[in-house]
Amino acid sequence: MNSTEKYRNTVSNIRLPRRQFLQGAATVGAFTAFGMRAANAQSSETLKIGFISPRSGPLAGFGEGDAYVLAQARKALADGLSIGGKTYAVEILDRDTQSDPSRAAQLANSLINDDNVDMILASSTPETINPVADACEAAGVPCISTVMPWEAWYFGRGAKPNEPSPFKYSYHFGFGVGEFVKAYTAQWNLIETNKKVGVLYPNDADGNAVRAVMVPQLEAAGFTVVDPGAYENFTTDYSSQIAIFKEEGCEIFNSFALPPDFITFWRQATQQGFTRTVKIAQVAKMGLFPSDIEAMGSLGPKLASAAYWHRAMPYTSPLTGVSADQFAADYETTEGRQWIQQLGASMSLIEVGIAALEASGNPKDRDGVAAAIAGLKTDTIGGVVDFSSGPVPNVAHGPIFGTQWVEASGGDYPLDYVVTENTTDPNVPVQAKLIPYDG
Amino acid sequence: MMGLLVQGVLLGGYYAILAAGLAFLYSVMGIINLAHGALAVVAAYMLLLFSQMTGMSPFVGLLLVLPAMAVIGVIVERGIFEPSSRGGPLLAVLATFGMSVVIDNLLFQQFGANTQSLANFIGDLSWDSWDLGGGLYVGKISVYTFLTAVFVLGGLQLLLTFTPVGRAIRATAQDSDTAGLIGLDARRIRMISSAIAFITIGIAGAALGMRSSFSPYAGGALLLFAFQATVIGGTATIWGTLIGGIILGLAQTLGAQIAPQGFLIGGNLVFFAVLFIRLLRGDMNWRSVLRLNRKATQ
Repeated sequence: MNSTEKYRNTVSNIRLPRRQFLQGAATVGAFTAFGMRAANAQSSETLKIGFISPRSGPLAGFGEGDAYVLAQARKALADGLSIGGKTYAVEILDRDTQSDPSRAAQLANSLINDDNVDMILASSTPETINPVADACEAAGVPCISTVMPWEAWYFGRGAKPNEPSPFKYSYHFGFGVGEFVKAYTAQWNLIETNKKVGVLYPNDADGNAVRAVMVPQLEAAGFTVVDPGAYENFTTDYSSQIAIFKEEGCEIFNSFALPPDFITFWRQATQQGFTRTVKIAQVAKMGLFPSDIEAMGSLGPKLASAAYWHRAMPYTSPLTGVSADQFAADYETTEGRQWIQQLGASMSLIEVGIAALEASGNPKDRDGVAAAIAGLKTDTIGGVVDFSSGPVPNVAHGPIFGTQWVEASGGDYPLDYVVTENTTDPNVPVQAKLIPYDG
Repeated sequence: MMGLLVQGVLLGGYYAILAAGLAFLYSVMGIINLAHGALAVVAAYMLLLFSQMTGMSPFVGLLLVLPAMAVIGVIVERGIFEPSSRGGPLLAVLATFGMSVVIDNLLFQQFGANTQSLANFIGDLSWDSWDLGGGLYVGKISVYTFLTAVFVLGGLQLLLTFTPVGRAIRATAQDSDTAGLIGLDARRIRMISSAIAFITIGIAGAALGMRSSFSPYAGGALLLFAFQATVIGGTATIWGTLIGGIILGLAQTLGAQIAPQGFLIGGNLVFFAVLFIRLLRGDMNWRSVLRLNRKATQ
């Protein structure tokens, strides 16, 4: 009930100024809607929100749907926001990091100093988010981010366990290693195996984080982890790892390799006869998007993955009023491409940002906005985001649930992405039984 | 152990095929082509487009793509290599670097960031293998790649050594003014060399697309291995590239055997060891240290 109320409040906040706006536009008459919006945008009561994501470069898969998401958000915000009795025009300034961390920092600084933004939103991977969050923290501009393990965001930027949070302006929501452990444990117990897990974790930020934090928890959950050790990204031959996995007879496999590296690994593992004996092939980083799996040909289907957003989620966007499933379907119709999980994450990021500005009472007061985020609990197209009950200050939990790529039984696209496990968000329906990879 | 050696040698064949065009362009034209990787990715995308549009195998696509690459080679020679070489070797290097940036971003604009592979159009070849017994498997694509490397590099060596065109290429590379005196058209010869180099880049693109996967920005990593193989092998002979590739492949596989991180380190160590040995032998100038003194032509 609480969430419905909240949703209704948010919607009425958006709709009220629209009515006023329409009346105003009707009396003036001569102005087109576009002209009015432009005039609004030039007034001093404009809220500027920076939106930083990787739209080109190696991480561009994450940013592929952002143009669509931003267009929907801008449409919903076209009539401005009414906060504390004042109506503000909203302008979203989107920027592309080109997958480059130093460019991400530059973009954040230029949004802060040249464009005078009131808030910055950042999405997808430590390479994008951490430099932006640091720049915002230094300049005293509120910053919200999502889609990277929160541990790498919080501890990776200098926070210490059991100490007060050093961050005042930067906030993050979404999954952490804990969610991965829950999802993997549940997913891997769906099928009878020898519980031996071969892992391919590279020597990079994510690989070392999962090796240090996740492996002990998986072992505590009863799995034997076979780790040949860290390897460097862009390795082109994996004979020694494959030999170890075969020798140990691992029936579960888990990878945090970069997509091109995983594809190379998996083909060589098939050449060497390893993949024929794998019951669960659980990949992360790879397999977030359908194109990764399509590139694998007949080896792609039945790979298991984990999702941070899914069109099956029973949630509706408080900003646009569109349900998760409809949102994904509209994207497919408009863009002619299969839906991707990042759509919902990017949309929920904007929703959290808007909710924080509304909750502040005075969106031009940066300290006030930052303080409002700390106590924020709001609905999004990805479920409830609650900063008041996070694992550490400045962080709100988000789900990760087990999924699997399967061959589609009809439809426009060759693959379906189905939910097989829902421990971290039981509201999400389980759509299918996990199929063994070798089955 | 036997298995690892076999994998290392086969991997070396893959590196040799990646490096063939880079080594050839340097040894006969003196151009360090930093757009090498990007151009191979272009060829891979052309093969992908062909297979997507016709539904035919990329092997058939090579019949169209390799001539197309030759034409691109001529255009690049006339438009970029030749004008920039007049400004000195450094300018040529910068020009090819600029070209690689332009190509990467054009590919991204055209095809998006998606990971692509040619494997889907060649059945199970990319992950099929022969079982040699005793737990020893060799990937079919690796063997084919190795044989192609032997064929291409051997062919280039024979071409340079025994054919009139090869002699003309060597003569022009050695002293284009004198070659001109005896009636060789240096510009034409350079165009032919460039076309040949680009055909081998096309083959490298095919090997990349079938063995692994590519995206618009995949050229950088490819250039790195090609460059290492070229330098280790030296460009004294075209064959040297195959040896360089095999040494690199073996060093990496053996390095990975010691520790998984040793894969790249093993290759890098050998790379530096080769440089160091050449230094000790007294070749103090960097050209001879990199063995980039174009002996193929002497």
